[in-house]
Amino acid sequence: MSELRLYLVAAVAYITIGVAFPTVLYSWVEGTAFLLLVVWILPSLIRRLR
Amino acid sequence: MSWAAHDLEPYAIQKHLGVKVAFVPLAIGSYSPDLLSKWFVYGIDVLGIELRADDPVQFHRGWPGVGFTHSLGYGVLIAALIWLVFGSRIWAWSFLLGHWAHALTDTGDTIGTMLFFPFSTETFGIGAWAYAGQYGRLIDAGAYFSGLGFVWDGVFVVYGLISWRMLKREYFHDVIVRADPRFWGWMGRWLPETALVALYRASFFYGTTRWVAWIIWAHVIHDFPLDLSWGGPQWVDAAYD
Repeated sequence: MSELRLYLVAAVAYITIGVAFPTVLYSWVEGTAFLLLVVWILPSLIRRLR
Repeated sequence: MSWAAHDLEPYAIQKHLGVKVAFVPLAIGSYSPDLLSKWFVYGIDVLGIELRADDPVQFHRGWPGVGFTHSLGYGVLIAALIWLVFGSRIWAWSFLLGHWAHALTDTGDTIGTMLFFPFSTETFGIGAWAYAGQYGRLIDAGAYFSGLGFVWDGVFVVYGLISWRMLKREYFHDVIVRADPRFWGWMGRWLPETALVALYRASFFYGTTRWVAWIIWAHVIHDFPLDLSWGGPQWVDAAYD
């Protein structure tokens, strides 16, 4: 469930940023990097800092 | 052209064929016809110099041009090379399926694709939605998300959401990794499972979120008129072969 929540946060954030700055939506690489940042890298960093 | 179908179709194909196809080459195949050419269709700015095809339509789908990348024979050729170089039949076959899905999907627009190149340079298309790539990326987005093109993409968004189980970790283990243990095993040496699953889901995430974002951009932020008529939207001067 927490995993789904992370993906939903990533989706809402990406859509919001993309609507404001459409150039963000051009690249699969950037989209994938954003997804990895939100669902893997940031949660891992936060877990380490705790 | 399609804006999200090429991201989403591999999931539909994978769901139907299960372990008979490998997801990564399937996705690469689905992106492959535009992989090296799309930037030159829309143009990019490099140090103040605009690099763009003189005739984007001809360049993208025609001959002379790189329209041959959308032919069925090109898919066969690259698949054969994959088989020869990597010795993997499942990678070759999966690439071919992804590539053909792209080539056939793009027959939906007003230009179509040279399916039978090099035997014929005739393009085949049903003309359901307007091809407007010649006006640059933003006008193309406005037109695409106002006509039947985005509806076709929507079919795959809805199909993917209905088939949400194929995005679960269990499915990733039981089908995706099982179909291609060498690749995912190699990736697993560098990345944890959470990242591998995210990579598997990435094209679905990218296609779906982008589809939603462009619809909002075209119809909430801007006011591109919706026109679901065949070959529409009629407000844009679509390219025809």
